[in-house]
Amino acid sequence: MDIQSVLVLFGTFALLMILGVPIAYAIGLAAFATFLLFMSFDQSVYIVAQQVASGLDSFTLLAIPFFILAGNIMNRGGIAMRLIEFAKVLGGRLPGALAHCNVLANMMFGSISGSAVASAAAVGGVMAPLQRKEGYNPAFSAAVNIASCPTGLLIPPSATFIVYSLITNGTSVAALFVAGYVPGILMGLSLMVVAGIIAKRRGYPVADRPSFQEVIDKTLAAMLPLGLIVIVMGGIIGGVFTATEASAIAVVYTLFLALIVYREVTWRDLPSIILESAVTTSIVLLMIGCSIAMSKAMAFADIPYSISDLLLGLSENPLVLLLIINLALLVVGTFMDMTPALLIFTPIFLPVVKDLGMDPVHFGVVMTFNLCIGICTPPVGSALFVGCSVGGVKIGEVLRPMLGFYAVLVALLLVVTYVPELSLFLPRLLLGYGG
Amino acid sequence: MALITRGVDLILRLVITIAFTVLVACVVWQVVSRYVLQSPSTVTDEMARFLFIWVALLGGAYTLGQRRHLAIDLLPVITTGALRRLVNCAIIAAIAFFAGVVMIYGGLDLVSRTLETQQVSPALRLPMGLIYIAIPFSGICMLYYCLTFLVDLFREGRGPNDQQTTTVGGPLD
Amino acid sequence: KTLRLNHNNPEDHPLHKSMEFMAERVEDLTGGDLKIRIYANAQLGTQRESMELMQNGALDMARSNASELEAFEESYGALNLPYIFVNADHYYDVLSGDIGADILAASEDKGFIGVAYYIEGARSFYANKPIHSPADLAGMKIRVQPSPSAIRMVELLGANPTPIAWGELYSALQQGVVDGAENNPMALTSARHGEVSKFYSDDGHTMIPSVVMISSKTWGELSDAHKEALRTAARESMDFHREQWDAMSAAAVETAKSELGVEFIEVEKGPFIEAVLPMHEEAAQKSPVVADLIKRIKAAAE
Ligand code: NA
Ligand code: NA
Repeated sequence: MDIQSVLVLFGTFALLMILGVPIAYAIGLAAFATFLLFMSFDQSVYIVAQQVASGLDSFTLLAIPFFILAGNIMNRGGIAMRLIEFAKVLGGRLPGALAHCNVLANMMFGSISGSAVASAAAVGGVMAPLQRKEGYNPAFSAAVNIASCPTGLLIPPSATFIVYSLITNGTSVAALFVAGYVPGILMGLSLMVVAGIIAKRRGYPVADRPSFQEVIDKTLAAMLPLGLIVIVMGGIIGGVFTATEASAIAVVYTLFLALIVYREVTWRDLPSIILESAVTTSIVLLMIGCSIAMSKAMAFADIPYSISDLLLGLSENPLVLLLIINLALLVVGTFMDMTPALLIFTPIFLPVVKDLGMDPVHFGVVMTFNLCIGICTPPVGSALFVGCSVGGVKIGEVLRPMLGFYAVLVALLLVVTYVPELSLFLPRLLLGYGG
Repeated sequence: MALITRGVDLILRLVITIAFTVLVACVVWQVVSRYVLQSPSTVTDEMARFLFIWVALLGGAYTLGQRRHLAIDLLPVITTGALRRLVNCAIIAAIAFFAGVVMIYGGLDLVSRTLETQQVSPALRLPMGLIYIAIPFSGICMLYYCLTFLVDLFREGRGPNDQQTTTVGGPLD
Repeated sequence: KTLRLNHNNPEDHPLHKSMEFMAERVEDLTGGDLKIRIYANAQLGTQRESMELMQNGALDMARSNASELEAFEESYGALNLPYIFVNADHYYDVLSGDIGADILAASEDKGFIGVAYYIEGARSFYANKPIHSPADLAGMKIRVQPSPSAIRMVELLGANPTPIAWGELYSALQQGVVDGAENNPMALTSARHGEVSKFYSDDGHTMIPSVVMISSKTWGELSDAHKEALRTAARESMDFHREQWDAMSAAAVETAKSELGVEFIEVEKGPFIEAVLPMHEEAAQKSPVVADLIKRIKAAAE
């Protein structure tokens, strides 16, 4: 295998990243250095420049800024509050009611906003004081919030899947979205089981039974924000529009809610919301453009094949190989943010798992699930950081209660890896997905 | 210099906000033309994709200027004094190299070649060179921000990754 | 020397097999001195990106089709006109003869030259209802590739051209987002469109070939012996491809009829030809190069 190009690519990238060069630029320069092995200086800069721009030339990718804009419009209003009230109705009679409420609210809010961090902040910010008042251990509350906030990355719509679709040359976004439902919901439910057991042991209270009127009111109040999911996913599954078109419709719908129904946003707020959404997206987009250049550099250097050969040399048993890949990704996830990890490691591992006969949609779910754990782990974990900060606890304190959740998440990751039907059953049923 | 920076920021903000608004309108119009008018637009798809490239690349430059990029800020934090300054200089040099050589030099090469061969986009028949101008344009803005980073570093000791407001995590996390 | 060839088909596609055939022949003819490494599935970039990369030699070779190539070299526009070819033999004679060679060579100053055409059959309309004449197309939403000539053609036939990404076309047909599409019969089986569109109207409006190209820069660096070997291999692979394609196309029609229950409709082509004929005039007026090619192609039919 051609070890030189592997060393140049990852060496340059690691060196620049440790130095503190912004990740997008580190990726772009690593791609450039790799191309230099195969072509002239002028050709190398030409191809990187082209890929940075042209890699973004995708109608599918447009869905990301739109979903982020819709999320930002929603976040201004009291959406989180309405969803939390509804979650209390759903989970209030279970032991450790507020913990269940936190998980359920994260699942709903995360589904709409598509952001684990936003969800951890919005839901955790409301739940932490409530839980403290009822005598919950703050570290436990924060751990529940941190572990459950990534569910929204699996439960559609999800920008993560759009990035995955792009980097894999157009894996069906609709299929990925639908495939995320079961694993995402299972993730939430299994966390609720663990939280429930701990809560029961510690004697955390059950909430009062809400009156019938309250149930109706709170359910109705949550219906408008949850209507977004119905419109978007209904439209996609029904084949009425594409994911990108659905995301634009989502913007229109949230604007309607925020401007006209709730009146929590005014027309004057819009330019700043739009700019903020564009900025948030751009941080990722430049990274995506550079990653596309890097994936082309990898293809030129046959790096995926080299890694594939290396892995196949270790074992020929698909079960073992998938375990190795998962372990590698868990390690990557501890120190890398989700998006760069997804962008860099998908092109490397996808050819390997395809050789093993794995479906690309299934692998997208496995990869996302895996990296969801990564954002909850130190030293670099955005969900961990935000969850601790809104929960008012130190990272060191939260790790102990997190251990149980890590265990259940890793166990579930293996189930999702080895039982493809969990991911593929729904897309086959609803979309006639052929994989 | 502060005045120029404000001007560059303002121009980028304006272009980004307007282009992004048009972008949303484009895709909404695509749905409306298909379902309401029953005569699907043949250009919105391409228009949206090209506007998006502009938003992304100019947005990339703008976020650099706002120091909102993602970086592993370890070495600049644990080092002090002259070493810290050296690390920060190296970071700025790496960004400037990317902006100047890849984005400006490579981007201009791409622009001039596509203009020379009169390559046009399939639906709108726009010269592709026009769309690619976003690359060197973004590169120039990035290079300018690198200059301000350098000034800030030597005036106030502020590194390129020192954000005014710390945000954690990627926006998609 | 190893040349990198990028294309966007999967490895089990007949086009990939024909390129592999060419690569093997080149290696044989040069005693292993010249090799071609084929990258399938657009690993090194989309068709447009490949063209741009060939322009400065960052990529040696690529496969695209005449429809996309029109944006880079106007001559290819002549091949994309509806009903410019009277039948499959006329089509292949033009491609493999002087006219085809002139078009392949025309783009040298644009940074690339063509080496081979691979036929992809005739494209026709298919939909959820039978189309016998342009009148049946009136008001129908027909999916087209985002090329001006495809859009213009569908407009002239009275339908609404709708650009939809290839990957989304199956569900768009199923849900009625579009009423029909146009392609060769292979789309019915390989993309399973026959499951959702039950009528294939054999109007054969366009015959758009794939083209394998080499960067002018790379070409200039090859020795005369290597150039000759590549030319020979490319020419041989064209015939190999035609045979392969015709067999697979016939098999696809059989499968579509027997397993998917698609009804194939013989149509009277006259009204279709009449409706789109203005396009020949328009194309000729826009460019003297294309005008000359149209004249030569039509002369070759007689
Ligand atoms: Na989501
Ligand atoms: Na982590």
